[in-house]
Amino acid sequence: MAKLIFVVLLTLIPILCTSFSPEKPSDRRILVLLDDFAVKSSHSLFFKSLQSRGFDLEFKLADDPKIALQRYGQYLYDALVLFCPTIERFGGSIDAAAVLDFVDSGHDLIVGADNNASDLIREIATECGVDFDEDSAAMVVDHSGYAVSSTEGDHTLIASDDFIKSDVILGSKKIEAPVLFQGIGHSLNPSNSLVLKVLSASPTAFSANPKSKLTSPPSLIGSSISLVSVIQARNNARILISGSLSMFSNRFFRSDVQKAGSPTKHDKSGNEQFFTELSKWVLHERGHLKAVNVQHHKVGETNEPSIYRINDDLEYSVEIYEWSGTTWEPYVADDVQIQFYMMSPYVLKTLSNDSKGRYFTSFKVPDVYGVFQFKIEYERLGYTSLSLSKQIPVRPFRHNEYERFIPAAYPYYGAAFSMMAGFFVFSAVHLYNK
Amino acid sequence: MAVLTSSSPSPPSMAQDLLNSLPKTLKLKTKQQELLIRVTTLGLIYILAFITRLFSVLRYESMIHEFDPYFNYRTTLYLTENGFSEFWNWFDSESWYPLGRIIGGTLYPGLMLTAAALYKILHFLRFAVHIREVCVLTAPFFASNTTIVAYFFGKEIWDSGAGIVAAALIAICPGYISRSVAGSYDNEGVAIFALVLTFYLFVKAVNTGSLSWSLASAFGYFYMVSAWGGYVFIINLVPLYVLVLLVTGRYSLRLYVAYNCMYVLGMLLAMQIRFVGFQHVQSGEHMASMGVFFLLQVFFFLDWVRHLLGDAKKFQAFLRITVTAAVSVGAIALGVGMASGYISPWTGRFYSLLDPTYAKDHIPIIASVSEHQPTAWSSFMFDFHILLFLFPAGLYFCFKRLSDATIFIVMYGLTSMYFAGVMVRLILVATPAVCLISAIAVSATVKNLTRVVRAKSQTIQSGSGKGSSASKGSSKGVVDNSQPFQKNGAIVLLLGAFYMLSRYAIHCTWVTSEAYSSPSIVLAARGAHGQRVIFDDYREAYFWLRQNTPPDAKVMSWWDYGYQITAMGNRTVIVDNNTWNNTHIATVGRAMSSYEDEAYDIMRSLDVDYVLVVFGGVTGYSSDDINKFLWMVRIGGGVFPVIKEPDYLVNGEYRVDKGAAPKMLNCLMYKLSYYRFGELTTEYGKPPGFDRARGVEIGNKDIKLEYLEEAFTTQNWIVRIYKVKPPKNRW
Amino acid sequence: MARSSTSTSKDAQDLFRALWSAYSATPTNLKIIDLYVLFAIFTALLQVVYMALVGTFPFNSFLSGVLSCVGTAVLAVCLRIQVNKENKEFKDLAPERAFADFVLCNLVLHLVIMNFLG
Repeated sequence: MAKLIFVVLLTLIPILCTSFSPEKPSDRRILVLLDDFAVKSSHSLFFKSLQSRGFDLEFKLADDPKIALQRYGQYLYDALVLFCPTIERFGGSIDAAAVLDFVDSGHDLIVGADNNASDLIREIATECGVDFDEDSAAMVVDHSGYAVSSTEGDHTLIASDDFIKSDVILGSKKIEAPVLFQGIGHSLNPSNSLVLKVLSASPTAFSANPKSKLTSPPSLIGSSISLVSVIQARNNARILISGSLSMFSNRFFRSDVQKAGSPTKHDKSGNEQFFTELSKWVLHERGHLKAVNVQHHKVGETNEPSIYRINDDLEYSVEIYEWSGTTWEPYVADDVQIQFYMMSPYVLKTLSNDSKGRYFTSFKVPDVYGVFQFKIEYERLGYTSLSLSKQIPVRPFRHNEYERFIPAAYPYYGAAFSMMAGFFVFSAVHLYNK
Repeated sequence: MAVLTSSSPSPPSMAQDLLNSLPKTLKLKTKQQELLIRVTTLGLIYILAFITRLFSVLRYESMIHEFDPYFNYRTTLYLTENGFSEFWNWFDSESWYPLGRIIGGTLYPGLMLTAAALYKILHFLRFAVHIREVCVLTAPFFASNTTIVAYFFGKEIWDSGAGIVAAALIAICPGYISRSVAGSYDNEGVAIFALVLTFYLFVKAVNTGSLSWSLASAFGYFYMVSAWGGYVFIINLVPLYVLVLLVTGRYSLRLYVAYNCMYVLGMLLAMQIRFVGFQHVQSGEHMASMGVFFLLQVFFFLDWVRHLLGDAKKFQAFLRITVTAAVSVGAIALGVGMASGYISPWTGRFYSLLDPTYAKDHIPIIASVSEHQPTAWSSFMFDFHILLFLFPAGLYFCFKRLSDATIFIVMYGLTSMYFAGVMVRLILVATPAVCLISAIAVSATVKNLTRVVRAKSQTIQSGSGKGSSASKGSSKGVVDNSQPFQKNGAIVLLLGAFYMLSRYAIHCTWVTSEAYSSPSIVLAARGAHGQRVIFDDYREAYFWLRQNTPPDAKVMSWWDYGYQITAMGNRTVIVDNNTWNNTHIATVGRAMSSYEDEAYDIMRSLDVDYVLVVFGGVTGYSSDDINKFLWMVRIGGGVFPVIKEPDYLVNGEYRVDKGAAPKMLNCLMYKLSYYRFGELTTEYGKPPGFDRARGVEIGNKDIKLEYLEEAFTTQNWIVRIYKVKPPKNRW
Repeated sequence: MARSSTSTSKDAQDLFRALWSAYSATPTNLKIIDLYVLFAIFTALLQVVYMALVGTFPFNSFLSGVLSCVGTAVLAVCLRIQVNKENKEFKDLAPERAFADFVLCNLVLHLVIMNFLG
């Protein structure tokens, strides 16, 4: 009996290792911070879609004094969902800096704001490169792209189908129905190069307070308004920022939609598909690459040298895999390039692959000596950026690595040797001459 | 013991006889006495030359000084650890990142090979010394050897008395000591020995006409070429000397044998050094020797034909034809060579010796080195003392007794004094000549005076004047004046001469102790109560780098500190003292002179991880980076016109206080030097942020760094190290 | 004009004849040395012509070839000077010593040439 228990316990050990790790990049534990628990039920479809994919969600109130992201230097969760647009101060040990450190240490973040977004949420968003409209009462209004609805007539409920063109982010299946949106708009900070618009407003949209008259032209207009944005940070943490919390709600998921000016009426809005696919991307179930097993060696040898010589022939190989949500699959692409780089690329070659994830090529070391780097800079929309660089010196010829006997110089060799022979003959003659 | 056997048989007086006999057996002949005195004197001079250079070892510790010697030390270490073949082919990827440097082909290996050979010999004799001790003491050892060679040289030119005086003068002359103290492990320490040796062997060869002495001088020249870039002086002085001899009608077969053998063999040997390569046939600086070689062949041929013909008239015709043919062929060859660019013109370093204003306008890097500035009179006095006016006296004596050897030393003296006037560093090359010529003056004068003193009174009257003429006057002949004034005057003058020489010795020792024995990597000052305060900040910073940064970290600093960082910090640097790539240095200069964000882009492109600056505001150390900053601007601006020197000046004035130019107050060098300095009070009674090196309160006290963070500042704020931050994560 | 040209040609012929007769009077051992020198110079000229045709590619080989010839010639001339009994400056020098120096210098020359050749 004891043995049975022991064996059962033993088999449970692997389960302890299923937390987030580089070997399994999908997040497991997610902390969801809410303004009140009503959100938990009103957005249950979204949460259930997450849980059905194997995530452990922990729901807490945003001002719960016992919440903490990390304890003793270890992070307790792998991702954070902030559905608390009105929170002024987080409870416990969390604040804006802690949330940003959480992201900077490689974890993901989903932020749902609303038109009454607090300064705290705005600050977090600004640090990520997303600027919400400064007017706290403003909402996105679109008088020609609104969703036809019987209840809401102020055109703040928008149906948008201006998606980012990326199969990695939004899935390969096209989202037929437009996505419903009601909330605050934001713009992308132009100095930030990492932020992307996933769902943009139509050119006729603008951001203003719907209840008051417009006194001055609105600051955010047209397609520069982003409704949903993502940021993929340099350490491959992914952040999703949405200007509407109700986009995630069951009501919007189940609602039918008809865009003003369009004859088709869809039975179901595209919100559920949109967010299911997008959350797959944000939580690293798709588009996550890893490059391992970098090898380089001279043609004909197997061990990796510490220094090359100019005009050597070498081979380089690397393995790239993509995380499918459960396993690592070989990543197949024909645009991965390797640079042999010293202040500028001397060699730039596209790696050929064998469809099993191994990329390889061979080239000749250039005729220049110095300290080079094998550089792979692979950045594709939606994929994690691969930035590999391996430093390797390249030396010139040693003094005995040149051609030993140069045919063009035979006359000179002959002359020198004839001089030596002449010297011997002459000294013999001179010595014995009376 | 013939004396003992003939002693008296009575026992008590045997001891007395013994005592009497000892002086007799020990009584040497005059020649042996003289030899003993000479050898003892030379031995003492040898030891003196060595120990007078040991001040810094006794005061501080046995360490390598300055900047360049650290590179030499590092290469010597590599040589002893990895052997000659690896050293000859060494490609160093740790300096001049990312270009690397072929060290085997870009250095003069003589010094390193000498030190490694000494090290191996000592180890063979079971003295387990560390290579650093050998390196530190190499220069004094070779200085001692130079005194011996100077003795032989003086003997060759004049006589053995002049030789001994020359050895004594050169042993303590500050001009030589400045570059050969213990710890100054630089090429010149060995090169001056090689220079004097080569000249001595060549003069000996010209005097004897022997092939073996010429061969020896060719080997001396080879050693000189392997040791120092200043060998160009030899390869130009010797042909010039030959030319002067030809012009003054002193052509002789001895000269022919000596010069030809030395030139051909010396040139061949010199081309074995990779760094020199084919310069002997391709560079404009070496063409004089080739021209004189051909001229000498023409002379010899004409001489031989004249000897064969024995008839003046026919010879004249032949002479005319040959000379015109030779001159025209030579001129055409030279013209074609220079015009086609095959013979390269004089390089900037040596051209600036002929035209001192050239470097300032065209090559700021050469102009910025403090040793390359023209020499002031005070430097001459400081380095030569009484030799400065004994030099013309010696020239006079040489002209009185002209021979091939004295013509040589006169030419050496005059040319080297000209170059010493152009560049401070070259006082070193002039020192042996000045010492030798002054030795001739001293020796001849003292000889005359002592002859006067020791002369038996003669009754024959002579019209020769009194004491003053005795010092400058006839060096020959017996003084046949019976006037006692002569003798007393001579004694007085002799005492005066000895007094001057003793003052010289005191001056040299004082100069060595005060001025030339500072390691410059360890600074010393007097504290408030007179106690000595040592600043060891440089080594503190380099060891921090060594122990606290990743092994492949790259450090950017101004090129002065490159060698020290690679040798002591063991980290890769971007630029170092070799200054072979002006564009790379200009890139660093541009980064230091730009605003922080532009500098950040440049640093990212060079993969820089750490930045090191030297700051003297807290201690009053005046050789810091802010004082060198204008050179960074000039060198950077020389390649990148976007950096303009007037942007950093206010009315042509260089300031760091509130009135400074805005670009100056916000450039990277300013920020890195004065970061957090505005909170520091450095001197009692002055406001915080008072820069003691410039004597002003700094203008921009509230400095914020965006792309760098402070990693380490040494105890006295002399060296400050900053870390370059990686790019922002979410931006 | 005709007179001067014939006179110059006659002068040249006289010159040449005088030189030839004076030269024939030199001792045999010196003539052997002269032959050796001519051989060396001729080889050097051959190499220069070859270099002019082919180019300077292995420049170190070219230099070592030419310099070995030039060095041999020069050292032989030095030997001739020292051995020639007519040169008063060298009358104290034993011919064996001169020859020994010559051999030593040639050894060094050829060793360095071997290193430099390639």
